[in-house]
Amino acid sequence: MLRKLRKSLIWYVFVAPTFFLYALFVAYPTFETFRLSFFHEVATRQEFVGALHYIRLLSNRVFLAALLNTAFLGILFLIIIIPISLVMASLLNNLRVWPNLFKAIYFLPQITSTVAVALVFSYVFQPNWGLVNGLLRELGVNPLPLWLAEPRYVLTGSRAAVTILAVWVALGYYMLIFQAGLQAVPAELYDAAVVDGAGPFQTWWLITLPSLRPTFIFLYITGTIDAMSRFSDLWMLGGPAGTPARSLQTIVLYMYQTAFESNDFNLASAAGVILFVIVLILTLVNFRSFLQREFSGQSGA
Amino acid sequence: MASSENISSARPLTVIRGLLGSQRRFQRVQQIVIFIIMAIGAVAMIAPFEWMLATSFSRSANVAMPRIPTFWPSDPSLFNYKVAITNLPLVRYYINSLFVTAASTLGYLFFSSLTGYAFAKGRFVGKSVLFIILLTTLMIPFEIRMIPMYLLMRQLHLSDTYAALILPFISGGFGTFLMRQYISAIPDELIDAARVDGANELTIYARIILPLCGPALAALTVLSALWRWNDVLWPLLVISDRSLYTITFGLAIASRSQGIFTGVALATSAIAILPLMILYLFLQRYIIRGIMLTGLKG
Repeated sequence: MLRKLRKSLIWYVFVAPTFFLYALFVAYPTFETFRLSFFHEVATRQEFVGALHYIRLLSNRVFLAALLNTAFLGILFLIIIIPISLVMASLLNNLRVWPNLFKAIYFLPQITSTVAVALVFSYVFQPNWGLVNGLLRELGVNPLPLWLAEPRYVLTGSRAAVTILAVWVALGYYMLIFQAGLQAVPAELYDAAVVDGAGPFQTWWLITLPSLRPTFIFLYITGTIDAMSRFSDLWMLGGPAGTPARSLQTIVLYMYQTAFESNDFNLASAAGVILFVIVLILTLVNFRSFLQREFSGQSGA
Repeated sequence: MASSENISSARPLTVIRGLLGSQRRFQRVQQIVIFIIMAIGAVAMIAPFEWMLATSFSRSANVAMPRIPTFWPSDPSLFNYKVAITNLPLVRYYINSLFVTAASTLGYLFFSSLTGYAFAKGRFVGKSVLFIILLTTLMIPFEIRMIPMYLLMRQLHLSDTYAALILPFISGGFGTFLMRQYISAIPDELIDAARVDGANELTIYARIILPLCGPALAALTVLSALWRWNDVLWPLLVISDRSLYTITFGLAIASRSQGIFTGVALATSAIAILPLMILYLFLQRYIIRGIMLTGLKG
Protein backbone atom coordinates (compact mmCIF):
# COMPACT_ATOMS: atom_id res chain seq x y z
CA MET A 1 0.00 0.00 0.00
CA LEU A 2 2.69 2.44 1.02
CA ARG A 3 4.78 1.34 -1.92
CA LYS A 4 1.86 1.95 -4.25
CA LEU A 5 1.33 5.41 -2.82
CA ARG A 6 5.01 6.17 -3.19
CA LYS A 7 4.83 5.02 -6.78
CA SER A 8 1.99 7.35 -7.63
CA LEU A 9 3.50 10.21 -5.64
CA ILE A 10 5.90 11.00 -8.47
CA TRP A 11 2.94 11.59 -10.86
CA TYR A 12 1.46 14.13 -8.45
CA VAL A 13 4.84 15.85 -8.36
CA PHE A 14 4.77 15.98 -12.18
CA VAL A 15 1.34 17.60 -12.32
CA ALA A 16 1.75 19.82 -9.25
CA PRO A 17 3.52 22.83 -10.83
CA THR A 18 1.00 23.03 -13.65
CA PHE A 19 -1.88 22.92 -11.18
CA PHE A 20 -0.30 25.48 -8.91
CA LEU A 21 0.01 27.87 -11.87
CA TYR A 22 -3.48 26.90 -13.03
CA ALA A 23 -4.91 27.80 -9.63
CA LEU A 24 -3.03 31.09 -9.53
CA PHE A 25 -3.55 32.32 -13.08
CA VAL A 26 -6.69 30.58 -14.32
CA ALA A 27 -8.99 29.36 -11.55
CA TYR A 28 -8.51 32.22 -9.09
CA PRO A 29 -8.74 35.06 -11.67
CA THR A 30 -11.83 33.53 -13.29
CA PHE A 31 -13.54 33.19 -9.90
CA GLU A 32 -12.38 36.68 -8.96
CA THR A 33 -13.84 38.20 -12.15
CA PHE A 34 -17.22 36.79 -11.13
CA ARG A 35 -16.84 37.98 -7.54
CA LEU A 36 -15.73 41.50 -8.47
CA SER A 37 -18.69 41.87 -10.80
CA PHE A 38 -21.08 41.67 -7.82
CA PHE A 39 -19.23 44.20 -5.67
CA HIS A 40 -18.64 47.90 -5.65
CA GLU A 41 -15.64 49.75 -4.30
CA VAL A 42 -16.46 52.31 -1.62
CA ALA A 43 -13.41 53.99 -0.14
CA THR A 44 -11.11 50.98 -0.78
CA ARG A 45 -13.71 48.61 0.71
CA GLN A 46 -15.70 46.22 -1.46
CA GLU A 47 -19.45 46.27 -0.89
CA PHE A 48 -21.88 43.71 -2.25
CA VAL A 49 -24.25 45.26 -4.76
CA GLY A 50 -25.85 42.22 -6.42
CA ALA A 51 -26.61 42.54 -10.10
CA LEU A 52 -26.20 46.33 -10.15
CA HIS A 53 -23.30 46.30 -12.63
CA TYR A 54 -25.17 44.02 -15.00
CA ILE A 55 -28.16 46.36 -14.92
CA ARG A 56 -25.79 49.27 -15.54
CA LEU A 57 -24.20 47.50 -18.48
CA LEU A 58 -27.40 46.38 -20.14
CA SER A 59 -28.75 49.93 -20.02
CA ASN A 60 -25.44 51.39 -21.16
CA ARG A 61 -25.44 52.42 -24.81
CA VAL A 62 -21.64 52.40 -25.05
CA PHE A 63 -21.43 48.82 -23.83
CA LEU A 64 -24.27 47.60 -26.01
CA ALA A 65 -22.69 49.30 -29.01
CA ALA A 66 -19.38 47.60 -28.24
CA LEU A 67 -21.17 44.25 -27.95
CA LEU A 68 -22.95 44.76 -31.26
CA ASN A 69 -19.76 45.97 -32.88
CA THR A 70 -17.82 42.91 -31.75
CA ALA A 71 -20.46 40.64 -33.28
CA PHE A 72 -20.68 42.73 -36.46
CA LEU A 73 -16.92 42.80 -37.05
CA GLY A 74 -16.65 39.09 -36.25
CA ILE A 75 -19.44 38.00 -38.62
CA LEU A 76 -18.21 40.32 -41.40
CA PHE A 77 -14.71 38.87 -41.04
CA LEU A 78 -15.86 35.25 -41.09
CA ILE A 79 -18.22 35.54 -44.07
CA ILE A 80 -15.41 37.10 -46.09
CA ILE A 81 -12.41 35.04 -44.98
CA ILE A 82 -13.95 31.57 -45.20
CA PRO A 83 -14.98 31.60 -48.90
CA ILE A 84 -11.86 33.48 -50.05
CA SER A 85 -9.43 31.27 -48.18
CA LEU A 86 -11.25 28.10 -49.29
CA VAL A 87 -11.07 29.10 -52.96
CA MET A 88 -7.43 30.20 -52.65
CA ALA A 89 -6.49 26.99 -50.83
CA SER A 90 -8.23 24.86 -53.48
CA LEU A 91 -6.35 26.71 -56.22
CA LEU A 92 -3.03 26.48 -54.41
CA ASN A 93 -3.62 22.76 -53.87
CA ASN A 94 -3.72 22.30 -57.66
CA LEU A 95 -0.70 24.48 -58.39
CA ARG A 96 2.45 22.60 -59.28
CA VAL A 97 4.84 25.54 -59.58
CA TRP A 98 6.20 26.97 -56.30
CA PRO A 99 3.24 26.01 -54.06
CA ASN A 100 5.41 26.24 -50.95
CA LEU A 101 6.75 29.67 -51.89
CA PHE A 102 3.19 31.00 -52.15
CA LYS A 103 2.24 29.31 -48.90
CA ALA A 104 5.18 31.00 -47.17
CA ILE A 105 4.33 34.43 -48.62
CA TYR A 106 0.65 34.24 -47.67
CA PHE A 107 1.67 33.24 -44.17
CA LEU A 108 3.99 36.22 -43.73
CA PRO A 109 1.48 38.51 -41.90
CA GLN A 110 0.84 35.72 -39.37
CA ILE A 111 4.36 35.80 -37.99
CA THR A 112 4.44 39.60 -37.94
CA SER A 113 3.11 41.16 -34.76
CA THR A 114 -0.39 42.58 -34.89
CA VAL A 115 1.07 45.81 -33.55
CA ALA A 116 3.49 46.26 -36.46
CA VAL A 117 0.90 45.25 -39.03
CA ALA A 118 -1.68 47.65 -37.61
CA LEU A 119 0.90 50.43 -37.56
CA VAL A 120 1.76 49.88 -41.22
CA PHE A 121 -1.95 49.74 -42.12
CA SER A 122 -2.65 53.03 -40.36
CA TYR A 123 -0.44 54.50 -43.10
CA VAL A 124 -1.72 52.19 -45.84
CA PHE A 125 -5.24 53.60 -45.23
CA GLN A 126 -4.13 57.22 -44.81
CA PRO A 127 -6.71 59.17 -46.89
CA ASN A 128 -4.38 61.63 -48.68
CA TRP A 129 -1.27 59.67 -49.57
CA GLY A 130 -1.81 56.14 -48.20
CA LEU A 131 -1.04 53.13 -50.34
CA VAL A 132 -4.69 52.25 -50.97
CA ASN A 133 -5.94 55.74 -51.80
CA GLY A 134 -2.83 56.51 -53.85
CA LEU A 135 -3.62 53.55 -56.06
CA LEU A 136 -7.33 54.41 -56.16
CA ARG A 137 -6.45 57.95 -57.26
CA GLU A 138 -4.35 56.51 -60.07
CA LEU A 139 -7.43 54.54 -61.12
CA GLY A 140 -9.42 57.78 -61.20
CA VAL A 141 -11.58 57.21 -58.12
CA ASN A 142 -13.15 60.44 -56.89
CA PRO A 143 -13.94 61.33 -54.13
CA LEU A 144 -11.44 59.14 -52.32
CA PRO A 145 -12.72 57.08 -49.37
CA LEU A 146 -11.88 58.19 -45.83
CA TRP A 147 -11.29 54.66 -44.44
CA LEU A 148 -10.20 54.90 -40.80
CA ALA A 149 -11.62 58.41 -40.47
CA GLU A 150 -15.16 57.36 -41.46
CA PRO A 151 -17.16 55.91 -38.52
CA ARG A 152 -20.42 55.19 -40.38
CA TYR A 153 -21.53 51.78 -41.63
CA VAL A 154 -20.29 52.20 -45.20
CA LEU A 155 -18.27 50.01 -47.53
CA THR A 156 -15.17 52.19 -47.23
CA GLY A 157 -15.40 53.18 -43.56
CA SER A 158 -13.34 52.28 -40.51
CA ARG A 159 -15.05 48.91 -40.04
CA ALA A 160 -14.31 47.98 -43.64
CA ALA A 161 -10.67 49.02 -43.23
CA VAL A 162 -10.12 46.87 -40.14
CA THR A 163 -11.92 43.96 -41.79
CA ILE A 164 -9.61 44.20 -44.83
CA LEU A 165 -6.70 44.28 -42.39
CA ALA A 166 -7.96 41.21 -40.53
CA VAL A 167 -8.59 39.26 -43.74
CA TRP A 168 -5.15 40.20 -45.05
CA VAL A 169 -3.55 38.99 -41.82
CA ALA A 170 -5.55 35.78 -41.44
CA LEU A 171 -5.68 34.61 -45.08
CA GLY A 172 -2.49 32.51 -44.91
CA TYR A 173 -3.58 30.79 -41.72
CA TYR A 174 -7.07 29.95 -42.99
CA MET A 175 -5.60 28.71 -46.29
CA LEU A 176 -3.17 26.50 -44.40
CA ILE A 177 -5.95 24.90 -42.36
CA PHE A 178 -8.12 24.42 -45.46
CA GLN A 179 -5.18 22.88 -47.32
CA ALA A 180 -4.64 20.42 -44.51
CA GLY A 181 -8.35 19.59 -44.69
CA LEU A 182 -8.21 19.19 -48.48
CA GLN A 183 -5.27 16.82 -48.26
CA ALA A 184 -7.16 14.70 -45.74
CA VAL A 185 -10.01 13.99 -48.19
CA PRO A 186 -9.65 10.30 -49.17
CA ALA A 187 -8.35 9.91 -52.73
CA GLU A 188 -10.82 7.05 -53.37
CA LEU A 189 -13.67 9.56 -53.25
CA TYR A 190 -12.11 11.52 -56.10
CA ASP A 191 -11.37 8.35 -58.07
CA ALA A 192 -14.99 7.30 -57.68
CA ALA A 193 -16.12 10.72 -58.92
CA VAL A 194 -13.92 10.46 -62.00
CA VAL A 195 -15.32 7.00 -62.73
CA ASP A 196 -18.85 8.43 -62.46
CA GLY A 197 -17.87 11.10 -64.97
CA ALA A 198 -18.15 14.12 -62.66
CA GLY A 199 -16.56 17.38 -63.81
CA PRO A 200 -14.10 19.31 -61.67
CA PHE A 201 -16.70 21.74 -60.34
CA GLN A 202 -19.17 18.94 -59.54
CA THR A 203 -16.43 17.05 -57.72
CA TRP A 204 -15.55 20.13 -55.73
CA TRP A 205 -19.20 20.81 -54.81
CA LEU A 206 -20.29 17.24 -54.06
CA ILE A 207 -17.14 15.73 -52.59
CA THR A 208 -14.65 18.35 -51.48
CA LEU A 209 -17.07 20.70 -49.68
CA PRO A 210 -18.90 18.01 -47.62
CA SER A 211 -15.58 16.39 -46.70
CA LEU A 212 -14.35 19.69 -45.34
CA ARG A 213 -17.13 19.89 -42.75
CA PRO A 214 -14.78 19.34 -39.76
CA THR A 215 -12.46 22.06 -41.08
CA PHE A 216 -15.36 24.51 -41.42
CA ILE A 217 -16.46 23.76 -37.86
CA PHE A 218 -12.94 24.13 -36.52
CA LEU A 219 -12.37 27.48 -38.25
CA TYR A 220 -15.82 28.70 -37.29
CA ILE A 221 -15.30 27.92 -33.59
CA THR A 222 -11.77 29.32 -33.30
CA GLY A 223 -12.75 32.26 -35.52
CA THR A 224 -15.72 33.27 -33.36
CA ILE A 225 -13.71 33.03 -30.13
CA ASP A 226 -10.87 35.10 -31.65
CA ALA A 227 -13.39 37.64 -32.91
CA MET A 228 -15.07 37.92 -29.50
CA SER A 229 -11.75 38.74 -27.83
CA ARG A 230 -10.39 41.05 -30.53
CA PHE A 231 -8.23 43.79 -29.08
CA SER A 232 -4.69 44.54 -30.28
CA ASP A 233 -5.17 45.77 -33.85
CA LEU A 234 -8.20 47.89 -32.96
CA TRP A 235 -6.41 49.36 -29.93
CA MET A 236 -3.49 50.31 -32.18
CA LEU A 237 -5.74 51.94 -34.78
CA GLY A 238 -8.41 53.51 -32.61
CA GLY A 239 -7.18 53.55 -29.03
CA PRO A 240 -9.19 52.27 -26.04
CA ALA A 241 -12.31 54.12 -27.25
CA GLY A 242 -12.22 52.59 -30.74
CA THR A 243 -11.96 55.97 -32.48
CA PRO A 244 -13.55 57.26 -34.71
CA ALA A 245 -16.85 57.61 -32.83
CA ARG A 246 -16.38 54.25 -31.07
CA SER A 247 -16.85 52.53 -34.43
CA LEU A 248 -13.96 50.18 -33.58
CA GLN A 249 -14.73 49.53 -29.91
CA THR A 250 -15.13 45.87 -28.95
CA ILE A 251 -16.02 44.23 -25.62
CA VAL A 252 -12.37 43.80 -24.63
CA LEU A 253 -11.56 47.41 -25.53
CA TYR A 254 -14.56 48.46 -23.44
CA MET A 255 -13.27 46.31 -20.55
CA TYR A 256 -9.82 47.84 -20.88
CA GLN A 257 -11.13 51.39 -20.99
CA THR A 258 -13.51 50.86 -18.07
CA ALA A 259 -10.90 49.19 -15.87
CA PHE A 260 -7.75 51.11 -16.66
CA GLU A 261 -8.99 54.55 -17.70
CA SER A 262 -12.15 54.91 -15.60
CA ASN A 263 -10.72 52.73 -12.80
CA ASP A 264 -13.99 50.84 -12.47
CA PHE A 265 -12.70 47.28 -12.07
CA ASN A 266 -16.08 46.03 -10.92
CA LEU A 267 -18.01 47.22 -13.96
CA ALA A 268 -15.23 45.95 -16.24
CA SER A 269 -15.41 42.56 -14.51
CA ALA A 270 -19.14 42.38 -15.17
CA ALA A 271 -18.39 43.02 -18.85
CA GLY A 272 -15.81 40.22 -18.62
CA VAL A 273 -18.43 37.84 -17.20
CA ILE A 274 -20.78 38.67 -20.07
CA LEU A 275 -17.92 37.95 -22.51
CA PHE A 276 -17.30 34.68 -20.67
CA VAL A 277 -20.95 33.65 -20.95
CA ILE A 278 -21.03 34.46 -24.67
CA VAL A 279 -17.83 32.47 -25.34
CA LEU A 280 -19.20 29.60 -23.23
CA ILE A 281 -22.48 29.50 -25.15
CA LEU A 282 -20.69 29.66 -28.50
CA THR A 283 -18.38 26.84 -27.42
CA LEU A 284 -21.11 24.64 -25.94
CA VAL A 285 -23.28 25.02 -29.03
CA ASN A 286 -20.41 23.56 -31.05
CA PHE A 287 -18.97 21.33 -28.36
CA ARG A 288 -20.11 18.01 -29.67
CA SER A 289 -18.65 18.38 -33.14
CA PHE A 290 -15.48 19.89 -31.69
CA LEU A 291 -14.92 16.98 -29.33
CA GLN A 292 -15.65 14.39 -31.99
CA ARG A 293 -12.99 16.04 -34.08
CA GLU A 294 -10.38 16.24 -31.36
CA PHE A 295 -10.72 12.62 -30.33
CA SER A 296 -10.97 11.09 -33.77
CA GLY A 297 -7.33 11.96 -34.21
CA GLN A 298 -7.82 14.71 -36.79
CA SER A 299 -6.90 17.53 -34.45
CA GLY A 300 -5.54 20.59 -36.12
CA ALA A 301 -7.48 19.94 -39.31
CA MET B 1 -30.66 9.29 -64.94
CA ALA B 2 -27.80 10.30 -62.73
CA SER B 3 -25.20 9.16 -65.20
CA SER B 4 -26.82 11.04 -68.08
CA GLU B 5 -26.69 14.22 -65.94
CA ASN B 6 -23.01 13.68 -65.35
CA ILE B 7 -22.29 13.23 -69.03
CA SER B 8 -24.15 16.38 -70.01
CA SER B 9 -22.37 18.49 -67.41
CA ALA B 10 -19.01 17.07 -68.36
CA ARG B 11 -19.55 18.11 -71.98
CA PRO B 12 -18.57 21.83 -71.76
CA LEU B 13 -15.24 20.73 -70.34
CA THR B 14 -14.71 18.28 -73.18
CA VAL B 15 -15.49 21.10 -75.60
CA ILE B 16 -12.92 23.35 -73.97
CA ARG B 17 -10.36 20.58 -74.06
CA GLY B 18 -11.13 20.02 -77.71
CA LEU B 19 -10.68 23.72 -78.45
CA LEU B 20 -7.33 23.76 -76.73
CA GLY B 21 -6.12 20.78 -78.66
CA SER B 22 -5.08 18.41 -75.91
CA GLN B 23 -5.51 17.72 -72.25
CA ARG B 24 -1.90 18.68 -71.61
CA ARG B 25 -2.48 22.08 -73.13
CA PHE B 26 -5.63 22.48 -71.01
CA GLN B 27 -3.68 21.68 -67.88
CA ARG B 28 -0.98 24.14 -68.82
CA VAL B 29 -3.53 26.94 -69.27
CA GLN B 30 -5.12 25.95 -65.96
CA GLN B 31 -1.74 26.11 -64.24
CA ILE B 32 -1.03 29.55 -65.72
CA VAL B 33 -4.41 30.93 -64.62
CA ILE B 34 -3.93 29.61 -61.06
CA PHE B 35 -0.40 30.94 -60.99
CA ILE B 36 -1.53 34.43 -62.02
CA ILE B 37 -4.28 34.50 -59.35
CA MET B 38 -1.84 33.34 -56.67
CA ALA B 39 0.75 35.87 -57.84
CA ILE B 40 -1.73 38.75 -57.59
CA GLY B 41 -2.53 37.65 -54.04
CA ALA B 42 1.18 37.39 -53.23
CA VAL B 43 1.76 40.95 -54.48
CA ALA B 44 -1.07 42.13 -52.20
CA MET B 45 0.63 40.33 -49.30
CA ILE B 46 4.05 41.83 -49.92
CA ALA B 47 3.11 45.34 -51.14
CA PRO B 48 2.39 46.87 -47.69
CA PHE B 49 5.73 45.56 -46.37
CA GLU B 50 7.61 46.77 -49.45
CA TRP B 51 5.92 50.17 -49.25
CA MET B 52 6.86 50.36 -45.56
CA LEU B 53 10.51 49.63 -46.42
CA ALA B 54 10.63 52.14 -49.29
CA THR B 55 9.11 54.86 -47.11
CA SER B 56 11.39 54.03 -44.18
CA PHE B 57 14.44 54.83 -46.35
CA SER B 58 13.04 58.16 -47.49
CA ARG B 59 13.98 61.21 -45.43
CA SER B 60 11.46 63.44 -47.18
CA ALA B 61 8.64 61.08 -46.15
CA ASN B 62 8.66 62.82 -42.76
CA VAL B 63 7.77 66.15 -44.36
CA ALA B 64 5.55 65.27 -47.29
CA MET B 65 4.55 61.90 -48.65
CA PRO B 66 4.35 61.53 -52.43
CA ARG B 67 0.73 61.56 -53.61
CA ILE B 68 1.46 58.59 -55.84
CA PRO B 69 2.78 55.68 -53.76
CA THR B 70 6.33 54.72 -54.67
CA PHE B 71 7.95 51.38 -54.02
CA TRP B 72 11.46 52.75 -54.23
CA PRO B 73 12.71 55.72 -52.17
CA SER B 74 13.46 58.79 -54.30
CA ASP B 75 16.09 59.92 -51.79
CA PRO B 76 17.51 56.76 -50.17
CA SER B 77 19.04 57.47 -46.78
CA LEU B 78 19.44 55.82 -43.38
CA PHE B 79 18.30 58.99 -41.63
CA ASN B 80 15.02 57.51 -40.31
CA TYR B 81 16.81 54.46 -38.92
CA LYS B 82 19.35 56.65 -37.10
CA VAL B 83 16.56 58.72 -35.58
CA ALA B 84 14.62 55.59 -34.62
CA ILE B 85 17.59 54.06 -32.84
CA THR B 86 18.44 57.29 -30.99
CA ASN B 87 14.81 57.95 -30.05
CA LEU B 88 14.10 54.58 -28.50
CA PRO B 89 16.28 51.99 -26.74
CA LEU B 90 15.42 49.43 -29.40
CA VAL B 91 18.37 47.16 -28.57
CA ARG B 92 17.19 46.99 -24.99
CA TYR B 93 13.65 46.21 -26.17
CA TYR B 94 15.00 43.41 -28.32
CA ILE B 95 16.98 41.89 -25.46
CA ASN B 96 13.87 42.07 -23.26
CA SER B 97 11.79 40.35 -25.95
CA LEU B 98 14.38 37.62 -26.42
CA PHE B 99 14.67 37.00 -22.69
CA VAL B 100 10.94 36.98 -21.97
CA THR B 101 10.15 34.82 -24.99
CA ALA B 102 12.94 32.32 -24.30
CA ALA B 103 12.18 32.00 -20.58
CA SER B 104 8.42 31.57 -20.97
CA THR B 105 8.81 29.19 -23.90
CA LEU B 106 11.32 26.99 -22.05
CA GLY B 107 8.98 26.88 -19.07
CA TYR B 108 6.00 26.13 -21.29
CA LEU B 109 7.82 23.23 -22.97
CA PHE B 110 9.04 21.81 -19.67
CA PHE B 111 5.81 21.94 -17.70
CA SER B 112 3.60 20.94 -20.65
CA SER B 113 5.69 17.87 -21.40
CA LEU B 114 6.17 16.87 -17.75
CA THR B 115 2.47 17.14 -16.92
CA GLY B 116 1.53 15.72 -20.31
CA TYR B 117 3.69 12.67 -19.56
CA ALA B 118 1.94 12.15 -16.23
CA PHE B 119 -1.50 12.35 -17.88
CA ALA B 120 -0.47 10.07 -20.76
CA LYS B 121 1.37 7.30 -18.92
CA GLY B 122 0.91 7.85 -15.20
CA ARG B 123 -1.38 5.89 -12.90
CA PHE B 124 -2.82 7.94 -10.07
CA VAL B 125 -6.14 8.64 -8.38
CA GLY B 126 -8.10 11.53 -9.90
CA LYS B 127 -6.23 11.53 -13.18
CA SER B 128 -9.18 12.05 -15.52
CA VAL B 129 -10.88 14.60 -13.25
CA LEU B 130 -7.70 16.65 -13.02
CA PHE B 131 -7.24 16.46 -16.77
CA ILE B 132 -10.76 17.72 -17.45
CA ILE B 133 -10.24 20.57 -14.97
CA LEU B 134 -7.10 21.54 -16.86
CA LEU B 135 -8.94 21.44 -20.18
CA THR B 136 -11.34 24.14 -18.98
CA THR B 137 -8.47 26.59 -19.58
CA LEU B 138 -9.18 26.24 -23.28
CA MET B 139 -12.60 27.79 -22.74
CA ILE B 140 -11.47 30.71 -20.58
CA PRO B 141 -9.80 33.32 -22.80
CA PHE B 142 -7.07 35.40 -21.21
CA GLU B 143 -9.12 38.58 -21.64
CA ILE B 144 -11.72 37.32 -19.16
CA ARG B 145 -9.09 36.82 -16.46
CA MET B 146 -6.95 39.87 -17.13
CA ILE B 147 -8.31 42.25 -14.48
CA PRO B 148 -7.83 39.94 -11.45
CA MET B 149 -4.48 38.86 -12.91
CA TYR B 150 -3.41 42.49 -13.02
CA LEU B 151 -4.59 43.04 -9.42
CA LEU B 152 -2.80 39.86 -8.34
CA MET B 153 0.46 41.05 -9.88
CA ARG B 154 0.12 44.32 -8.01
CA GLN B 155 -0.53 42.52 -4.72
CA LEU B 156 2.47 40.27 -5.23
CA HIS B 157 4.60 43.33 -6.08
CA LEU B 158 5.41 41.77 -9.43
CA SER B 159 4.24 44.68 -11.59
CA ASP B 160 7.15 46.04 -13.63
CA THR B 161 9.22 42.87 -13.35
CA TYR B 162 10.24 40.24 -15.88
CA ALA B 163 8.45 37.70 -13.69
CA ALA B 164 5.11 39.36 -14.50
CA LEU B 165 5.74 38.83 -18.20
CA ILE B 166 6.92 35.23 -17.79
CA LEU B 167 5.22 33.44 -14.86
CA PRO B 168 1.60 33.40 -16.08
CA PHE B 169 2.63 31.75 -19.33
CA ILE B 170 5.04 28.96 -18.35
CA SER B 171 2.30 26.37 -18.31
CA GLY B 172 -1.02 25.99 -20.01
CA GLY B 173 -3.94 23.72 -20.74
CA PHE B 174 -3.30 23.61 -24.46
CA GLY B 175 0.37 22.63 -24.18
CA THR B 176 -0.42 19.89 -21.68
CA PHE B 177 -3.25 18.62 -23.85
CA LEU B 178 -1.06 18.47 -26.96
CA MET B 179 1.81 16.74 -25.15
CA ARG B 180 -0.54 14.22 -23.56
CA GLN B 181 -1.98 13.32 -26.98
CA TYR B 182 1.49 13.00 -28.44
CA ILE B 183 3.03 10.99 -25.59
CA SER B 184 0.02 8.62 -25.49
CA ALA B 185 1.15 7.33 -28.90
CA ILE B 186 4.55 6.28 -27.55
CA PRO B 187 4.52 2.47 -26.97
CA ASP B 188 4.41 1.39 -23.31
CA GLU B 189 7.03 -1.31 -24.02
CA LEU B 190 9.73 1.34 -24.38
CA ILE B 191 8.91 2.72 -20.94
CA ASP B 192 8.53 -0.69 -19.32
CA ALA B 193 11.90 -1.79 -20.69
CA ALA B 194 13.53 1.26 -19.10
CA ARG B 195 11.77 0.54 -15.80
CA VAL B 196 13.10 -3.01 -15.81
CA ASP B 197 16.56 -1.52 -16.23
CA GLY B 198 15.91 0.44 -13.04
CA ALA B 199 15.27 3.89 -14.50
CA ASN B 200 13.03 6.17 -12.43
CA GLU B 201 10.22 8.30 -13.93
CA LEU B 202 12.33 11.44 -14.18
CA THR B 203 15.03 9.59 -16.11
CA ILE B 204 12.42 8.03 -18.39
CA TYR B 205 10.93 11.49 -18.99
CA ALA B 206 14.30 13.04 -19.81
CA ARG B 207 15.94 10.16 -21.70
CA ILE B 208 13.05 8.45 -23.49
CA ILE B 209 9.97 10.66 -23.67
CA LEU B 210 11.51 14.05 -24.48
CA PRO B 211 13.73 12.83 -27.36
CA LEU B 212 10.68 11.24 -29.00
CA CYS B 213 8.57 14.41 -28.76
CA GLY B 214 10.52 16.54 -31.27
CA PRO B 215 7.66 17.53 -33.59
CA ALA B 216 5.25 18.34 -30.76
CA LEU B 217 7.87 20.34 -28.85
CA ALA B 218 8.79 22.20 -32.05
CA ALA B 219 5.15 23.07 -32.63
CA LEU B 220 4.73 24.33 -29.06
CA THR B 221 7.95 26.35 -29.38
CA VAL B 222 6.60 28.11 -32.47
CA LEU B 223 3.26 28.89 -30.85
CA SER B 224 4.62 30.01 -27.51
CA ALA B 225 7.32 32.15 -29.13
CA LEU B 226 4.81 33.86 -31.43
CA TRP B 227 2.36 34.43 -28.56
CA ARG B 228 4.96 35.92 -26.24
CA TRP B 229 6.87 37.92 -28.83
CA ASN B 230 3.73 39.53 -30.25
CA ASP B 231 1.73 40.04 -27.05
CA VAL B 232 0.75 43.59 -26.27
CA LEU B 233 -2.29 43.48 -23.96
CA TRP B 234 -0.55 41.91 -20.95
CA PRO B 235 2.54 44.17 -21.04
CA LEU B 236 0.12 47.10 -21.35
CA LEU B 237 -1.39 46.09 -18.00
CA VAL B 238 1.67 45.18 -15.96
CA ILE B 239 4.61 47.10 -17.45
CA SER B 240 5.11 50.83 -17.21
CA ASP B 241 8.89 50.89 -16.74
CA ARG B 242 10.39 51.68 -20.14
CA SER B 243 13.48 49.58 -19.49
CA LEU B 244 11.24 46.47 -19.41
CA TYR B 245 9.40 47.11 -22.69
CA THR B 246 9.47 44.33 -25.25
CA ILE B 247 10.07 45.30 -28.87
CA THR B 248 6.40 44.76 -29.78
CA PHE B 249 5.13 46.71 -26.80
CA GLY B 250 7.73 49.46 -27.26
CA LEU B 251 6.70 49.86 -30.89
CA ALA B 252 3.03 50.05 -29.86
CA ILE B 253 3.62 52.71 -27.19
CA ALA B 254 5.92 54.75 -29.44
CA SER B 255 3.50 54.77 -32.35
CA ARG B 256 0.51 55.59 -30.17
CA SER B 257 2.30 58.53 -28.59
CA GLN B 258 4.18 60.06 -31.53
CA GLY B 259 3.24 58.76 -34.96
CA ILE B 260 3.73 62.11 -36.70
CA PHE B 261 6.92 61.38 -38.58
CA THR B 262 5.91 58.78 -41.11
CA GLY B 263 9.45 57.86 -42.16
CA VAL B 264 10.69 57.39 -38.61
CA ALA B 265 7.59 55.46 -37.53
CA LEU B 266 7.90 53.06 -40.46
CA ALA B 267 11.66 52.66 -39.88
CA THR B 268 10.89 51.71 -36.28
CA SER B 269 8.36 49.12 -37.36
CA ALA B 270 10.79 47.80 -39.98
CA ILE B 271 13.36 47.30 -37.21
CA ALA B 272 10.73 45.43 -35.21
CA ILE B 273 9.61 43.25 -38.12
CA LEU B 274 12.62 42.49 -40.32
CA PRO B 275 14.78 40.30 -38.06
CA LEU B 276 11.76 38.05 -37.48
CA MET B 277 11.03 37.88 -41.20
CA ILE B 278 14.60 36.82 -41.92
CA LEU B 279 14.33 34.17 -39.20
CA TYR B 280 11.05 33.07 -40.75
CA LEU B 281 12.71 32.65 -44.17
CA PHE B 282 14.99 30.01 -42.68
CA LEU B 283 12.48 28.35 -40.36
CA GLN B 284 9.26 28.69 -42.37
CA ARG B 285 8.96 24.95 -43.05
CA TYR B 286 9.09 24.17 -39.32
CA ILE B 287 6.86 27.08 -38.39
CA ILE B 288 4.18 26.13 -40.92
CA ARG B 289 4.41 22.46 -39.94
CA GLY B 290 4.04 23.42 -36.27
CA ILE B 291 0.95 25.50 -36.95
CA MET B 292 -0.51 22.66 -39.03
CA LEU B 293 0.13 20.12 -36.29
CA THR B 294 -1.72 22.14 -33.68
CA GLY B 295 -4.21 24.01 -35.81
CA LEU B 296 -3.63 27.09 -33.70
CA LYS B 297 -2.26 30.39 -34.90
CA GLY B 298 0.29 32.75 -33.53
